[in-house]
Amino acid sequence: MTMKYKSQRIAQYFYTFAILLFLVQVLVGLIGALEFIWPNFFFLKFHIIKTLHVNALVIWLLAGLMGATYYVVPEESETELWSYPLALFQFWATVVTVTLVVIGYIWMGFDPQANKTVFGTLILNEGREYIEAPRWADILIVVSVLLFLFNNFMTMFKTKKWTGIQGTLLGGLVFLALMYLPGMVYTKSMVKDQFWWWWVVHLWVEGAWEVIAGALLAFMLMKVIGAKREVLEKWMYIEVGLVMFTGLLGTGHHYYWIGTPGYWLWVGGIFSSLEPLPLLLMVWDAFRTTREARQVTNRAGLYYTVAHAIFNFVGAGLWGVIHTLPQVNKWTHGTQITAAHGHLAFYGAYVLLVMSMIYVTLPAIRGVKEYDPGRAFASFWWMTISMIFMVFVLTGAGMVQVYMERLMGLDYEAVKANYNLWFWVFRAVFGAGFLVGVAIFVVDYFKLGGEAAPALQTATDRG
Amino acid sequence: MGNKAARNLFIIGSLFFFVVFLALTVDTLGKLDKRAPEITQAVDDGKMVWHKYDCIGCHTILGNGTYFAPDLTKVAARKPKSYLKQFIMDPKGVKGDAVMPTLGISSTEADNLLAFLDWMSKVDTNGWPPKPILATAAGVGGKELTAGQLVYQAQGCSNCHSISGIGGTSGPDLTKVGSRRDRDWLIGHFKDPQKYVKNSAMPPVTASNEEIDQLTAYMLTLKEATK
Repeated sequence: MTMKYKSQRIAQYFYTFAILLFLVQVLVGLIGALEFIWPNFFFLKFHIIKTLHVNALVIWLLAGLMGATYYVVPEESETELWSYPLALFQFWATVVTVTLVVIGYIWMGFDPQANKTVFGTLILNEGREYIEAPRWADILIVVSVLLFLFNNFMTMFKTKKWTGIQGTLLGGLVFLALMYLPGMVYTKSMVKDQFWWWWVVHLWVEGAWEVIAGALLAFMLMKVIGAKREVLEKWMYIEVGLVMFTGLLGTGHHYYWIGTPGYWLWVGGIFSSLEPLPLLLMVWDAFRTTREARQVTNRAGLYYTVAHAIFNFVGAGLWGVIHTLPQVNKWTHGTQITAAHGHLAFYGAYVLLVMSMIYVTLPAIRGVKEYDPGRAFASFWWMTISMIFMVFVLTGAGMVQVYMERLMGLDYEAVKANYNLWFWVFRAVFGAGFLVGVAIFVVDYFKLGGEAAPALQTATDRG
Repeated sequence: MGNKAARNLFIIGSLFFFVVFLALTVDTLGKLDKRAPEITQAVDDGKMVWHKYDCIGCHTILGNGTYFAPDLTKVAARKPKSYLKQFIMDPKGVKGDAVMPTLGISSTEADNLLAFLDWMSKVDTNGWPPKPILATAAGVGGKELTAGQLVYQAQGCSNCHSISGIGGTSGPDLTKVGSRRDRDWLIGHFKDPQKYVKNSAMPPVTASNEEIDQLTAYMLTLKEATK
């Protein structure tokens, strides 16, 4: 596979930015893990580290998805991007905005009073998880996303090839952009604050992003093993359809205990229990399609694609459904069990998705026909094994916490400092293992295509 | 099913569920204010203080946020306001091993934050967080409570103090308090904590002399196990 349109190379800018932020995210993640053990060992306190950790995550995944979209749309539309300079401008504008926001967070770590109120909004940090970015940055981000959507829409409009994949991708992206808006409204009531906050957070990760994942999964299966578009698109519609049918009302599982009426216990319990179904279907889809594979040149691409489908189901699906029923959630809500679910879900559903897209499209962008997937596999196993153990550790910590704090009535601090101490130690160890995997990936990303290709023996051997 | 049918099912189905979700949202928004007390200016200002210091970066509220520090949904109902105010402004001065950094929260900000947390604690959360089963059961099963234990419960002492691991960690552990303090010290301290412990954030115990005697007697039974 080679890149067909020159403007597709814009994807690489976004990938590079995404990967650097990924490294930052995991580095600060490790610092945060150590602060669970030694709260004062680093000059930035935990809340700053945590803000950097989750914001870097959201931004690098978005940047990765933007890069992937810039690659997919010209390919599907069979034309150059509507405007390459506009895409480049949008890239640099995003980088500048994100850098300013990050500087603001760190500044606040040195001087908490610097987060002043200007025109009724906080200037450095809005103090709302995941969407801490201040209002001025919100507006710039919306402008950036609008430019991005406009450019891609105009590209599609040039040739009017409304393929299912790019239609669904565009639909998911528009939904994503719209769902950012409910997070930009200030409400005096913390209950309403969280109500709308979940529109952003839940309808992104369990709505818009999963729709985008469904479209990209179909694209990758088509590219890596040449599966038939007709069949792929049909299953894609069924998958993303089920994502929406279960995910929209599944938002209710966040409305059990935040001051909202009791009927959400029923709505959320029933629909969120069904949320793993489309994810299971994606796994089946990936296996069914790859069984037919005969000639695979991009082995790493295939590997990551299938792994993404599996861990999307395990992390977002299984680890979510275990504590989604209100009878269970009443005891587990707000404990480390949620942290375990969050880590595996983001890793399986979106980290592996963006990495798959990079491994599927980067060789084409760099004009590489064959490359040694050794480092790609090494980084996969370092990251995946570390993440699985980290999630087991956090789940264990959560079970201890639920039992001791929620059932027995021990104090939060007592459980955290004594009974969970070794869990924090092991979490940091596996966090370091994850960092090793990320480092291997970063090296592979920058070296891919720059080295001599290995002997051509893989395709026939693996048959 | 053909591709077109699958696509139409996806689009129409998604729209259908979105409309249902919107309808529930409208209904919910109409009911929220009745499930919470009125929001005064202090409560709103306190919410801004909550955001300003990025409290959610360590704590959870309504169970959402970060799992690095305790959930604060009901904290205002469980701990004395005077204690909370002093702690928020100077965590390590009140509790030497406190993890919370000193953020420079002013007295006015602390008052507003407490107004906000007080509002928060009165929101109807469908019974969350649940009362711990074992701690609730302890004291009512097996044997009758002594008069002193009843006062200990009635005063809510365990919100801040622990005995044998059950209770809060805001104040000192009382498991062996009977070995450390005598009767006069305890009675005097209950009536005026600051006179006995400099910087103490404990409010005076407001109870009759008889109840304070009973509570003191109970404290004196808490000694190192001799067997």
